[in-house]
Amino acid sequence: MSLVRNFIEDWSRYRRSINEGGFHEYEHMWGMVIDLDKCTGCNACSVACYAENNLAVVGEEKFESGQGMHWLRVERYWDEPNIGNERVRDTQEHGGSFMPMMCQQCNSATCEPVCPVAAAYHTPDGLNAQIYNRCVGSRYCANNCPYRLRYFNFYSYYEDSWPSPLDMQLNPDITVRDKGVMEKCTFCVQRIRSAKNTAKMENREVADGDFQTACQQTCPTTAIVFGDLLDHDSEVHKLWHKFQTKLGTTKQKKDNPELRGYRLYEQLNTEPSVTYLERVRDV
Amino acid sequence: MEAEAETCHPRPRRSLALSLWTAMMVVALILGNALLAKPSLADEIMTPRKQVPSAFSGWLDEDVGPFPGVVAPEGTYEGKDVEQPIEFPHDLHTATNKINCLYCHTYARRSAVAGIPPTSKCMGCHSIIATDRPRIKQLTEYWDKGQSPPWKKVHDLPDYVRFTHERHLKKFLFDNPDMTVERVDEVCALCHGDVTKMTVAKKQKPLTMGFCTRCHQANGGTFDCQKCHK
Repeated sequence: MSLVRNFIEDWSRYRRSINEGGFHEYEHMWGMVIDLDKCTGCNACSVACYAENNLAVVGEEKFESGQGMHWLRVERYWDEPNIGNERVRDTQEHGGSFMPMMCQQCNSATCEPVCPVAAAYHTPDGLNAQIYNRCVGSRYCANNCPYRLRYFNFYSYYEDSWPSPLDMQLNPDITVRDKGVMEKCTFCVQRIRSAKNTAKMENREVADGDFQTACQQTCPTTAIVFGDLLDHDSEVHKLWHKFQTKLGTTKQKKDNPELRGYRLYEQLNTEPSVTYLERVRDV
Repeated sequence: MEAEAETCHPRPRRSLALSLWTAMMVVALILGNALLAKPSLADEIMTPRKQVPSAFSGWLDEDVGPFPGVVAPEGTYEGKDVEQPIEFPHDLHTATNKINCLYCHTYARRSAVAGIPPTSKCMGCHSIIATDRPRIKQLTEYWDKGQSPPWKKVHDLPDYVRFTHERHLKKFLFDNPDMTVERVDEVCALCHGDVTKMTVAKKQKPLTMGFCTRCHQANGGTFDCQKCHK
């Protein structure tokens, strides 16, 4: 009988994973909403990320050869008709747009299955974790990431990135990564951890608004909203529902142009946890 | 002719054989799925293999640890002698004078690190008690200069490991109905050895990842990599 029961359980799990995108076994599911209409491209989030996560400053030369260590980068795009039209190119209102890009914390991530030592794995929190001391630096994960959001330590940046008094600013809650280690945005896992720790000590669950990520905290226009998607009272859950972003699809089907939510490269079936809200144009 | 007649004999019906074959295949699939289904690597990492519910741990002989509600992690380690600025006698304070560990290492129950007490805490007693001893005179010198003795760290974890004292004390001591705060030294002894028999503290447990995971396996701790590795 146990054989049949196992089979039925496996089968129902498989069916559920198809219908719900496999998100039912999480304790939490940390997600994010980024309103591109509010984003002014000020790069404050990127700076905050550098300060919070001990990111190395690599210098101009290495940055040009694509070895920048920015976990959060602000990408700039221009709409097609305006290319070459110099007069209007540099304003956001005329076809320009900014897009803060951090790790999308994919729920069926492409980086995880290729890791030969299981340093990249999925946590019960719905996070795409990277265990630094387990990483051997094969760089498969970075090559397999469609968003190009994993960064590799090609040098021992800790030697000269923080000269003597500056090393006092390093965050003790996160490792200073050595040469040969892959790293990426963690949704500020050290803040999640400490919030959960406090909640456990007080014998309660983590509530919405207990903590913020560094980028969310710094954003002057509150374009970034972070929270638990499984918590139905959280702001991020309400926003996902307001803009009808659905999990478990490869394309958001929307008739109303006011439903602006979309996820990056959904057609690749990576199931990102970050929703972007499209920029509203006057014209 | 007879042989020809045999070959012309009407064959058994194809459809029946086909349906029987399919039914067998379905059964084989079901059995195969159930028998061969293995937990994935992630499942194996995540789920502790042996969980001892603390309510039952006192009932089974092999699960009885040093105190009820815990299975002690195995492993010993020969630590080096550490030269401290003042040779601090732990045994005199804890065993002879019965001072609770949490009196001096007071941060252990409310933060990640146990901490070394400030010199003012030492002087709270030693401005009156045993002021004529050479070690206390040494301490008083530091105190008069407004310095703290440069204590050396004995139990040092690597940079990539996160360990919180408060959560472990909560599980083993404050949430454990069989334990009282007076017996906190037994909880400390799980990872620090029996400090009540040491003078200067020495590393007596390996504090390796295997040591941690063995205890987590036996006592139902977490197996999520990112909870302990930062």
